[in-house]
Amino acid sequence: MSTSTVDHDVLPGVGPPADEATAPTPRGDQHAEDVVDARLGRPPSDVLEATVVLEAWDGRPAQSAMSAARELVSPDHEPALTGSRVDPSDRQERRSVIAEGIALVLSILSVAAWARPLSRELGPRALEDAIRLALPLAVALQWALRSRYLSRRDGLALLAEDGPSCCALLLLLVVAIALIAPWGRVAALLVLIWVGGTVLTLRGWGLLYAVGLLAGTAALDREHAAYAALGAMAAFTILLCLVAVLTRRAPTDRRPGGLRRAVLAGLIGGAVGVLLVGDPSLGWGVHGVHPAIALVPSVLGSFWGGYYLWNLYEAIPRGLSGVPLEHAGSAGLAGPALGVFLGAILRLVGTTIVLSVIVATLGRWTHGTDAVTVFVAFGCAALASMMLSLFESLSLQRGALVAIAAALAAEFACRYFVQWHVAGGALAVGAAVGVLLTLPALIALLSRSGRVLATTLWIQ
Amino acid sequence: MITEGTYPYAVGGVSSWCDAIIGGLPEIEWEVLPIVAGGKRLHQNYQLAPNAHLLAPIELWSEELPPRHGFLGGSETEGQSVPSRLLEGLVTWNGNAPTLTDALVWCRRQPQVIRPSFRSRRAWDKYLATLTQVLNEQHDQASRAPHYDALEAARLYQTLYWVARTAAAHTPPCEVLHATAAGWSAIPAIVHKALFGTPLLVTEHGIFVREAYLAALRDTTASPARRHMSTRLALGLTRAAYAAADVIAPVTDANAAWERGLGVDSGRIHVIANGIPPPRAPTPPPNAGKVVAVGRIDPLKDVQTMLLVAAEVCRRRPDARFEYWGPPTPGQEIYAEACERMREQLGLGTSFRFMGRTTDPQGVIRGADVVLMTSISEGMPMALLEAMSQARPAVATGVGGIPGVIRGCGIVAPPGDIHGLATAVVTLLSNPELASRLGRRGYERLRRRYTLEHCVEGYRELIEQLVGEVTT
Repeated sequence: MSTSTVDHDVLPGVGPPADEATAPTPRGDQHAEDVVDARLGRPPSDVLEATVVLEAWDGRPAQSAMSAARELVSPDHEPALTGSRVDPSDRQERRSVIAEGIALVLSILSVAAWARPLSRELGPRALEDAIRLALPLAVALQWALRSRYLSRRDGLALLAEDGPSCCALLLLLVVAIALIAPWGRVAALLVLIWVGGTVLTLRGWGLLYAVGLLAGTAALDREHAAYAALGAMAAFTILLCLVAVLTRRAPTDRRPGGLRRAVLAGLIGGAVGVLLVGDPSLGWGVHGVHPAIALVPSVLGSFWGGYYLWNLYEAIPRGLSGVPLEHAGSAGLAGPALGVFLGAILRLVGTTIVLSVIVATLGRWTHGTDAVTVFVAFGCAALASMMLSLFESLSLQRGALVAIAAALAAEFACRYFVQWHVAGGALAVGAAVGVLLTLPALIALLSRSGRVLATTLWIQ
Repeated sequence: MITEGTYPYAVGGVSSWCDAIIGGLPEIEWEVLPIVAGGKRLHQNYQLAPNAHLLAPIELWSEELPPRHGFLGGSETEGQSVPSRLLEGLVTWNGNAPTLTDALVWCRRQPQVIRPSFRSRRAWDKYLATLTQVLNEQHDQASRAPHYDALEAARLYQTLYWVARTAAAHTPPCEVLHATAAGWSAIPAIVHKALFGTPLLVTEHGIFVREAYLAALRDTTASPARRHMSTRLALGLTRAAYAAADVIAPVTDANAAWERGLGVDSGRIHVIANGIPPPRAPTPPPNAGKVVAVGRIDPLKDVQTMLLVAAEVCRRRPDARFEYWGPPTPGQEIYAEACERMREQLGLGTSFRFMGRTTDPQGVIRGADVVLMTSISEGMPMALLEAMSQARPAVATGVGGIPGVIRGCGIVAPPGDIHGLATAVVTLLSNPELASRLGRRGYERLRRRYTLEHCVEGYRELIEQLVGEVTT
């Protein structure tokens, strides 16, 4: 081991005072100033910056560079205010929202189209039970998949890597569902079709998926072919899904999202699904009001609102660039975060209202989808779902779980204690509770863009 | 041993050094604690020696939640002042080691409270108030701080969160802590030392803070605030590491000058030069006018100056041939493309070739007449030691530890001095006898001073000394 024997222990410019300098500056200060000025095009920010420049671009030894650098710093130099660069977001939420939106609309339309033939063969009660189980499960799986894979860059490649374990889990779940009851097989097939659809639309194969659904719908119309047609559709979707994922297989050094978070997202999504099917006044695709068709306006509304909402990840940093520090903690209705949030709500509500009016007008054609309260209920549910999704995305899962639990409790209370015979009434009340619990919290949070970025978006 | 973005996952000089030290000191049981960027899969590139055990890495900027273990007591209210305390301890010009250490130790004691504390409104408000004060600080060695906007304030807040998370990581009981840089890897060591009094050894291959300044200078799109933030954080971490370290072991005297400049007393600095395994007898040079460079394609290597040097050499010696061995640094692909375009524009054709990665740097140097290095920043470059091991003369820029290493066995020119570097290369290519003499001297010098055995022995003595001090 060799120990340093240099005696010039202290260097001017950083630690000790200048008069203790022992190393002479090899060239005049003017030269040092010229080198630093030529390299930086501005005064150095501090002694160390000037030292680094003199070392690297003038070849001075550290000690000598530090001595010269001390003379080059002007403590009174007034800096200018400049905006900062906004780094591009890594998130792929927008694409996954589109995928989910398309898949959901197709799923709803398929339910609408399949209701009659399936209930004819299986019996109305069995189909309703199957949907009541399948819908929450499918939504739960969609939310979990989005959290762990689909919202991420290289999401499909990551899913491909975890393919065997995902397939095994799905198989286990499907078998369990199929064994629950006689209608379990239908529920299992519906889950496969709906969840597979999400993956296919993300892959950009939404059209193929739609073709498969249409072909299945035609087959369902034939007598005594319900199980076979559903099975074929499920097999087609899953096979296509496997091809879609495996052809996106590529080496990636990224990792999927956390399992815990995915499970929580699945729980929240599942609870949203339960909220949707928890109101007995909505005879799912069987008789009376026709909820499947009535869902379309709110689904399209939430699709557009959700698509817009994911601007948050880029709009907030962009909006905060150039905002003076003294305003970083202030609240305001004109901030970028609240702007995006309110814009998303307006899109959701506006689209839902306009499309609901259109669907209600065409009510006779759609076999009685004309109960205004059903549209209101689904609109509220869509709004609650968007809020809960945002809560989940901001890592406020606990809050989301509390809100959805309260919403479910309210729906349950309406169903069993109030005996309110309004189509969609219980769902509307439950969803409204969910909205009331989440909306003020989100407004309070998002009104402070600086805070939400620092404490919530960037610390997950 | 706490590593930072290197061993055992990344290939490079520091990782090879870690591997050599661990393998060279089999009597010591090593616990390796790596700090890595989160969200990515880790591929272990080094097989650990039987005397080493790899701990779960600390992942920065990941989605993983903090550990739930920790001491009882403490509260979120107390935690809300942690961002401000970290800011004060790290970002002020002189730092505040006691405040910083207290805050870091608190994070270790209360890991489960860090996240809710940083996510609270009060912590953010306190932080903003402290940031305003910190930015108004005046010091004769620094210009006034640039104006931060809300975005940079949030970015700094996020970085402080990861400082806190790093401090919260569990460190196993040990007799000596060894941080491989005076940066992030020193954070868990500072906490461990504060809690248990374990001696801390910090090795510096480069100077963490100097590299941060160079990186900030290279990032031409960064705002002044972002430059300020990255360099002040680095300065704060370096000062904290120096304050806590019992011994600092730079690889060269040039680095020691920085450490002394940052207030470290000479008694705590022990220069231990890097080394390479004892070389075989050298082979004679090919006398083919071949110049070889080994290193990553990176702005710090100033490859563009090398291209200009090559162009001038080829004008004077049309038979000269240059080979650049090494891949672009990850993230510097655009720079590599610019270098390739420059090579074409200079009309160098086959006179200068980028050869890509090599697994046998000594082999490619063996085929050279002269080794060239045009870096603007270096600690103690392995490529020069490899040139010396093959008895090849080097022409290099006089930065960092280079002049000390090739003293008497190579030619040093100022960085960016195209004419000087080209003249040196032409001189050596035209005088094989001089080149051979310098090469031979380098070979002897390496055997005397820069073998791996010397390096390992240096660490053995140092660690024994630190353990001995604790025992007594």
